[in-house]
Amino acid sequence: MLGPLPLGTAGEARAPSRVMFGPHETNLGRRRAFSDRHVAYYARRAAGGAGIVVTETASVHPSDWPYERAPLAAASAAGWASIAQACHAEGTLALASIGHAGGQGSSAYSQQPLLAPSRVPDVTTREAPKAMEADDIDAAVAGFGDAARLAVSAGLDGVEVNAGQHSLVRQFLSGLTNQRQDGYGTDRLLFALEVMQTVRDAARGAVVGLRLCCDELAPWAGITPDAALEILTALHPYADYVVAVRGSIYSVSATRPDGHTPPGFNLDLSRRVRDALPGRVAVVAQGSIVEVDMAQRTLESGAADAVEMTRAQIADPDLVRKVRAGAPATVRPCVLCNQTCQVRDPRNPVVSCIGEPASGHETEDVPVSGTSPRPQRVLVVGGGPGGLEAARTAALRGHHVHVVDRAAQPGGAVRAAAAGAGRERLARIADWLASECSRLGVEFDLGRELGGKDIDAHDGAVIICTGSADGRRDYRVEPGADIRTARSVLEQATRPDGGLPDGPAVIWDPVGGPIGISVAELLAPGRQVALVTPDLIPGAQLARSGDLADASTRLQQAGVALHKRSRLVTVTPSAAVVEDVFTGEAADIGAAVVIDAGHRLPEDSLWRAHPALRRAGDAVAPRTMYEAVLEGRRAALALDGRAT
Amino acid sequence: MKAAGRYRYLFSPLRIGPVVLRNRIVFAAHLTNYAEDGHPTEQHAAYYEARARGGAGLIVTEEHSVHPTDWPYEKLIHGFDESVIPGYQRITAAVHRHGTPILAQINHNGGQASGMYSRLPVWAASPVADPLFREVAKEVDHAEIAEIVAGYAKTAGHCVQGGFDGIELQCSHSSIVRGFLSPATNLRDDEYGGDLQRRARILLEIVAAVREAIGPGRALGVRLCGDELINGGTTIDDAVEVARMVEATGHVDYINTSIGVATSTLYMIEASMHIPPGYALFIPSAIRKAVELPVVGVGRFKDPLQAERALAEGHCDMIGVVRGQIADADFAAKARSGHADDIRLCLSCNQECVGRMGLNRWLGCIENPRTGRESVPLPRPARSRRKVMVVGAGPAGLQAAIAAAGCGHDVTVHERADTAGGQVRLASTVPSRAEFGDLVRNQLAECARLRVTIRYGSDIDAAAVRAAAPDTVIVATGAAAERPYWAPPDAGQVVDIRQVLDGSVAPQGRVIVVDEIGFHHATSVAELLADRGAQVEVVTPGMVVGQDLGITLDMENWCVRAAAKGIVQTTDCLVTGVGPGSVTLMHHPTGRTRQTDADWVVCAVPAAPAEQLYLELKALGQPGVRRAGDCVAPRRAHAAVIEGQRAGEAL
Repeated sequence: MLGPLPLGTAGEARAPSRVMFGPHETNLGRRRAFSDRHVAYYARRAAGGAGIVVTETASVHPSDWPYERAPLAAASAAGWASIAQACHAEGTLALASIGHAGGQGSSAYSQQPLLAPSRVPDVTTREAPKAMEADDIDAAVAGFGDAARLAVSAGLDGVEVNAGQHSLVRQFLSGLTNQRQDGYGTDRLLFALEVMQTVRDAARGAVVGLRLCCDELAPWAGITPDAALEILTALHPYADYVVAVRGSIYSVSATRPDGHTPPGFNLDLSRRVRDALPGRVAVVAQGSIVEVDMAQRTLESGAADAVEMTRAQIADPDLVRKVRAGAPATVRPCVLCNQTCQVRDPRNPVVSCIGEPASGHETEDVPVSGTSPRPQRVLVVGGGPGGLEAARTAALRGHHVHVVDRAAQPGGAVRAAAAGAGRERLARIADWLASECSRLGVEFDLGRELGGKDIDAHDGAVIICTGSADGRRDYRVEPGADIRTARSVLEQATRPDGGLPDGPAVIWDPVGGPIGISVAELLAPGRQVALVTPDLIPGAQLARSGDLADASTRLQQAGVALHKRSRLVTVTPSAAVVEDVFTGEAADIGAAVVIDAGHRLPEDSLWRAHPALRRAGDAVAPRTMYEAVLEGRRAALALDGRAT
Repeated sequence: MKAAGRYRYLFSPLRIGPVVLRNRIVFAAHLTNYAEDGHPTEQHAAYYEARARGGAGLIVTEEHSVHPTDWPYEKLIHGFDESVIPGYQRITAAVHRHGTPILAQINHNGGQASGMYSRLPVWAASPVADPLFREVAKEVDHAEIAEIVAGYAKTAGHCVQGGFDGIELQCSHSSIVRGFLSPATNLRDDEYGGDLQRRARILLEIVAAVREAIGPGRALGVRLCGDELINGGTTIDDAVEVARMVEATGHVDYINTSIGVATSTLYMIEASMHIPPGYALFIPSAIRKAVELPVVGVGRFKDPLQAERALAEGHCDMIGVVRGQIADADFAAKARSGHADDIRLCLSCNQECVGRMGLNRWLGCIENPRTGRESVPLPRPARSRRKVMVVGAGPAGLQAAIAAAGCGHDVTVHERADTAGGQVRLASTVPSRAEFGDLVRNQLAECARLRVTIRYGSDIDAAAVRAAAPDTVIVATGAAAERPYWAPPDAGQVVDIRQVLDGSVAPQGRVIVVDEIGFHHATSVAELLADRGAQVEVVTPGMVVGQDLGITLDMENWCVRAAAKGIVQTTDCLVTGVGPGSVTLMHHPTGRTRQTDADWVVCAVPAAPAEQLYLELKALGQPGVRRAGDCVAPRRAHAAVIEGQRAGEAL
């Protein structure tokens, strides 16, 4: 993992470590160019020890504009040059991902037809693309060459051709999307071959990588692992490395899935590819590799020559540096939540991380590092993620920190959330925060309820991170009705009966986030479960993390009854009465218990008694872990007058 | 009759405080997503200038935020930051060149936001989560209220420096002020919550602070929500009372009105063609009876006669015409000069204006390719007049003809059918979609003005093109229905929506409508058939029937109408086979299949481009051949219009 990786036709390019920071959408761009924010973002990972940085995929031709801030190769020369310079200063290799999204793009920005091998509409947008004419194909191939030439002359070490997710090259290779009758259809390899030959020539000896979909998860017509090996037999002469990925138009989320998919799902695929390729071609393993152990095992076992750890380095840019320093346990874990690092969303959110909110904000956020000029005694009330991050930051800067929490274990709301089905990894961020705090000398006082007197008695600063309380109920409750909050159900999930009465459970989910869904999945194996949502789709807010369609599928496979477009109006001892949000038509759903997964309220009684004190996270307004960590950090930095 | 006679009220001047309007037509505030980095752009200036040149009586800009805690969507103008002033000056100078007054709307969206861009808690009266953004707000304390009020005053000052003639306070559909006014979102028990007088306190403080900031020489308006259309929300009696309080301050020059909550009942704010025009007039009408101040009425006014009638009936003193002027910047001038028939009427389709806003894209118009592109120079007129042949009189062909003829070329359109409009004409035969047909009406009127020749019943093949020897041929032959793979050729009960719409089949009994497009195609035909007595089920492989109806704000009313008509909506299912009197559906999340009775199966599925003529001409080496619209790839009308325009201009 820490050894160098030689790459290139003559092996003249040497990555200082075998850890890749792979290409991904960031929305950091300025129009269609790379920005200063991009440069700082990549430079930070290079400084942290990344061996290879591959920049966000740039469109090789103006006919491709898949999302508003998608870089365009022709507008990228200056940005690429700055990124190359910043990475080279750390010895890191910098490559440009170049691609064309084809029929998986968008016509909204270019206002031109989508281009694709055949007129197969994308499943999500349902927009019919134009079947490319001969000159369209020629222009796309030439675009790949132009982009490669530009990248190399900007000083980058080479390029990576995207034939993975969101790629025209894959669309040509696949029977799902290529139904042409001409030479590009009878030989589906032809387009990829022309692209790779053109890029190889244009790169003039610089590194050429290939990110190839080796399993479209659609064996009836898609690329299978066997077919991928045949494709690679033809293409590998033009590549110095290959990244084996999976997923296609029917499985976009499978390429970079969240925690519902176990990490390392592509390792067998990677090993097969590596076994089939000559040793000259390096293989990079991809697929939710977020743990140092797994990365090391992957490399030692010979499944790959390098590992792509993109999300892991969004969560902790210093991952490689910490491993090199012999402190892998101090690496902030990626918990595969996809909540803020997944940014393919029309709102153009900037890439970030729920555990490391400075990611993506390298040019704006005040660094945590440094020593306080005036160390104080700091009392943090509440050991949830906000409180722990406040404590960690304060301790890091030399303050003497004491955390009090009424629970026996620190972690707050994250512990409950991690009890939800498929969300177990969330606990790791709480564990990491607590262990970092301990390492930095933070004292914990657990299982203790704090009173106003304790606050008055404290000599020093106080940060209130008391989290949230149950929310208002805007429905009628009849006597004898059994109503629980999602929080309480999750907290009791480890009990054998889950603390719930027998009989059907109805979950009222006005939020549409991961909580309601994960409670439904948690309970569905053992009982009849209904999910009531005001939306047209259950878990409507999961679109951004990529779990939207998958969650719907899992719920239906688990037999959860979905009551869409419905609002909870009354809970009786035996039923939830719901009404259609548009028509008002009412219906009864049998329920022994109703679980309210609705919005919560700040637990701010302590703050109200001491309104001059600083507070952070849910105690201000219950939101997600991202805001809790961000505000906890800001509260600690504010002790030294450092404001973001 | 002269225009002045036809419109007794619409073109009479009106004074609002220190500002005199030449007519009653207001280009009211609406989002454009033209801002960049929080600043107004050249495009803003060009956009508003086009409407000023086109005769609007008053322009009110899109909202400017008064405080950094307010950043609900990416391309919001940060009015609290003084660096906006040069952009303001560019806008006001451009608009004032045409003698038109322009006001700046300033606002704080309160809890109708998230912290996604600001990375700050959202501020509101009470910790209530907004129904769209779903983020619990931070309850503001008194110091924060004072900060908000000061933010309004500061931003108003920037607007004065920027040359605006006054300020409008958005206290209506997406505002912290409405949040305070509404019992649904204000749960406070301090001086800013409780009875209406207390809930209105922040508004009155803002009014006083803004008036002080702008002085007596500028106009100040307040836009109020007359009915939130939500449970426990503000209704008209409260709104009238608030209008009285606003008038009593003596600081305000006019009242604007609106209906609904942007993050909950937006479909009633920017109503599509399914809501009758003038639906919100009860609001200005009630307020106007209670106050002396001039009142603005809004609500799908797209025709000058409608606007005139609302004024004549005394509902209001001014009329907001937003989409009408998005579709035709010269709306007012054309009406005034007696050429109302030349107005490119808005369709109220919401596809490229409202529809693009929700998706964080710049505002456009389905039938006006200039909208959103006003700052891009127009193509130069042709140096030599060329003979242009257009094949196909659908939206792409007609727009190509308009663009080419507009550049001075000699254009003939050949249409195989005996009428123009292609798929748009068919789509608009569904009674509730009739206004969509105005697209064709508008294009034909423009063709007539530009002396485009249209030959109907003219089926053109490659030989005919070569015989006519045009300098340029634009192929806009549309697309043909394609039978899905699962329908055997002898399954006569499987038909395309086009066959239903053109009357060649009349499905009855139990009808399955297959939605693989996700827009009005399936749902409008389902309604048509249900109205004729069929028992209809719409089946889609997607997660939602008519998945894109939400973008145009048609989802809510589709669901209500579908329920009333007994239409069943089935999601996540593919048709896998057709038998006599039945279809087989596969529920793809579980893989389970079921058979269901079906006398007819009506398909709303992707069509096949009719590209033969184009490909033949290209193969023959015909010079100057282009294609546009569905014959490139079958899409929606806006793509046809844009490509037609581009093809026509590119000569």
